Amino acid sequence: MARSVWKGPFVDGYLLKKAEAVRGKGRNEVIKIWSRRSTILPQFVGLTFGVHNGHKHMPVIVTENMIGHKFGEFAPTRSFHGHTAATAGDKKASPAPAAKKA
Amino acid sequence: MAASESRVCLGVIVGAKGVNGEVRIKSFTEVPTDVGSYGPVESEDGTKTWEVRVVGQAKGVVVAKLKGIADRNQAEDVKGEKLYVARAKLPPPEEGTYYHADLVGLKVVLTTGESKGSILAVYNFGAGDIIEVGDGTTASVMVPFSDAAIAEVNMKDGVVRVEPLPGLFDDGDDDELIEEGDENADDDATEVKNHG
Repeated sequence: MARSVWKGPFVDGYLLKKAEAVRGKGRNEVIKIWSRRSTILPQFVGLTFGVHNGHKHMPVIVTENMIGHKFGEFAPTRSFHGHTAATAGDKKASPAPAAKKA
Repeated sequence: MAASESRVCLGVIVGAKGVNGEVRIKSFTEVPTDVGSYGPVESEDGTKTWEVRVVGQAKGVVVAKLKGIADRNQAEDVKGEKLYVARAKLPPPEEGTYYHADLVGLKVVLTTGESKGSILAVYNFGAGDIIEVGDGTTASVMVPFSDAAIAEVNMKDGVVRVEPLPGLFDDGDDDELIEEGDENADDDATEVKNHG
């Protein structure tokens, strides 16, 4: 069931403080967070968060399209390497898509 | 690497489709149906070559017809085959854009001169491209592939220069921030009123 609208979006309070602090510094910084449950707010756009996936912090560059989603949606907690017997070399097999600098 | 340096894997055959020899291909190209656009593809060992004609798409895979495969039995025999083309057949990427295959294996050096190993993999979970950096001895680190974090990609020298942003390789201000988070815990959860 969807969350009631009258409650407003949920976000951990300390996240707002962190974001404000980094904005105040005026330089790029990866904000490490563990709060996967928090909603992405408009004031987070342009910032880079390191969202913990239980193992490490995954960089999440917040864009306008992500507003309203939760941070956890962009840092998967499971990695599927396939059912076949994969070797270390296979992991490096070269997919063709191109990576573009954001 | 599974393939030689001069080849790139465009996809893998994941199964047969129908009774007329069509196969289902998991495509690794940016546009999935482009898997057959770069000429004949060859198997990982280079012994088999097929011409790929894409006939449709279904549930995250591309349905294609391979020349020389006429029935379902033959289609099932090629299940698991990876499809490679020569690197030279791919078009040159745009400015600031790189093939994953070209990035993986490049050395990673901080702008301060410190070596951080090499690029192990490239990911995208919906929030921009991410490179996994590690040297095999310590835990790998995820670095955003953005202008802010990547100072330079030098393909000729095989080196990527990374800006050591606070919080990327070090703990940054984490101690202070964790304490803040802990002491406030759940009581500080904020519900922002939706005025929309």
